[in-house]
Amino acid sequence: MIGTLVVKDIKLFVRNRFFLIVTALGLVLYPIIYFLIPDQVDESLGMAFYIEDRESALYQRLTDEPGDYVLFDTEAEMLTALQETGDYFVGLSLPADLSAAAARGEAVELNAYYAPGVPAEARQIFHDVLVLFANAVNPETLANLTRFNETEFVLGNDLMGAPLSLRDRFVPLFLVFIVMIEIFGLATLLNRDVENGTARALITGPLRLHQFFAGKALMGLILAFGQLLFLSAVMGVLGVSTLLLLTTLLLGSFLMVGTGFFVAALAKDNTSAMAWAIVFIIPMVIPSMTVLLPGLSTGWMEIIPSYYFVDSLHRILNFGAGWADVSRNLAMLLIGGAATLAIGTTAIRRKF
Amino acid sequence: MAQPAIEVKDLSYSYGDILAVDDISFDVAEGEVIGFLGPNGAGKSTVVKVLTGQLTPQKGSASLMGMDIVKERKQVQQEIGISFESTNLYEQMSAVENLDLFAKLYKVSDFDAMGLLEKVGLGGREKEHVASYSKGMKQRLMMARALVSDPRMLFLDEPTDGLDPVSTETIHALIRNATKEGTTVFLTTHDMVEADKLSDRVAFLNQGRIVALDTPARLKQRFGMRALKVEVELPDGGAEEREITLDEDQTPQAVFDLFKNERILTVHSEEATLEDIFFDITGRGLQG
Repeated sequence: MIGTLVVKDIKLFVRNRFFLIVTALGLVLYPIIYFLIPDQVDESLGMAFYIEDRESALYQRLTDEPGDYVLFDTEAEMLTALQETGDYFVGLSLPADLSAAAARGEAVELNAYYAPGVPAEARQIFHDVLVLFANAVNPETLANLTRFNETEFVLGNDLMGAPLSLRDRFVPLFLVFIVMIEIFGLATLLNRDVENGTARALITGPLRLHQFFAGKALMGLILAFGQLLFLSAVMGVLGVSTLLLLTTLLLGSFLMVGTGFFVAALAKDNTSAMAWAIVFIIPMVIPSMTVLLPGLSTGWMEIIPSYYFVDSLHRILNFGAGWADVSRNLAMLLIGGAATLAIGTTAIRRKF
Repeated sequence: MAQPAIEVKDLSYSYGDILAVDDISFDVAEGEVIGFLGPNGAGKSTVVKVLTGQLTPQKGSASLMGMDIVKERKQVQQEIGISFESTNLYEQMSAVENLDLFAKLYKVSDFDAMGLLEKVGLGGREKEHVASYSKGMKQRLMMARALVSDPRMLFLDEPTDGLDPVSTETIHALIRNATKEGTTVFLTTHDMVEADKLSDRVAFLNQGRIVALDTPARLKQRFGMRALKVEVELPDGGAEEREITLDEDQTPQAVFDLFKNERILTVHSEEATLEDIFFDITGRGLQG
């Protein structure tokens, strides 16, 4: 009986052009993007130099010992390359009288140009290099610059010695994104059944209310879990701690089902279902951004239930975490899913 | 004495402070068509919702086919078919898919969706999405859906409201067919002609109370007035209409005198409609 309901709902989901296109796009585009993203980590820090005094020892040394830097003939050329190529994270312009002025103990102005998006930590490191360089020219006059604190930043998981490629970082992100649309899909189907009165026709006839809800929850679970499974298989991550990963995907799907019920309870029609879904989807996506930008990760994020899904996936797929490492996360996912499902179901009951 | 198909005792239901159904009691025999009549807001749909288990009675009790509507709600719901007041079909599915879905859920074996659709006049368009159907077609499909499980009792809530005459006649024929097969029909409507035509008995509902319940003929006899309308020719060549009230002691003499002394042009008999009677009893029309 519930199977009949699930088949009917999947049929209706597929017949909704919006859901079909969005789902198909996700299933096709995410793998394409995944394979286009580099799977190697570029650990080089490209630097650009313009050195006005070509007779200087520094110019000679940089020319004689090629490294991860490029010397430009003019400052303008260097700036253009910085802005347009994206190959350099910093450009340094050294005036002709740099060494002489530094040796005389005069103030020296150096222009360092950073590419957009260069993190503050990288700027600090470059600044420190610059100070060392200045000290080498005139340790006495620039000695005051050497009193800097050595600071080491470890953002999120310590990737020292095991850097993650962008592709690896995107895996949890794609998995969260693909399942998010199900919140809207499930909420819309559920809301439509209630508001159009078709649910009433079912429960005053062959079905009991709990069977109706069970059918909807199962449909949401199948759609969400099915897509997660498909995407995981295409991205080739199913082999990583398979049982633990499947459990996490299932619990993540369960959380989405609960949220879908919750959104449906709030919605009055399709438009408001979409509006409420967006209200929930946006914060639910935020934790997945921390995988890309670990600096974003803060304690308050743990109040967002999807955090536990993202964090578990990230740890399992990228750091080989085991059951013990993510058991708290999995428990939180189960609790979050059950709570939203219970609240949503109770609220929807009141609509009958 | 045979068990009534519907037995309602002292039933009340209110929405907050608004009393929608006020202490009503009635019985319906098996195979009978009962018409519940009243203007919008009289409480007709609330009675249907309570009897079909969509609402739980706040006072009183009711049983359908001997089963308590609260304690045995699911068993009751397995035996009834409902055509709702507002359209509630899966619009992105075809008529066949809509019917097949309910047949599967009711576990009806060897269900013939096409046969049923032919019966309700939807043969030939059975594979189109319901969204493309007219209101009349949707109403006929709702009727077909109510018949999927071959129910012992049908609840039809305003089944012909706003329909064209062809669709209305199709639905009337379906109701007559169902009653021929022994199905009990609970019909709510504010169309008095429809109620008069289809119902074995009618109940007038006004402000949540049953103010009259009987066969249409007896109600007319009891509350209505029959009259003879006669058009007579005047000496100047004109015409005048006279009315003779029937069922009175002096009626035979009045008819005799008229036919003896006047040149009669036309004769029409006139009887009270259910609407007239409703107005007489409640002081309000059916459209309010």
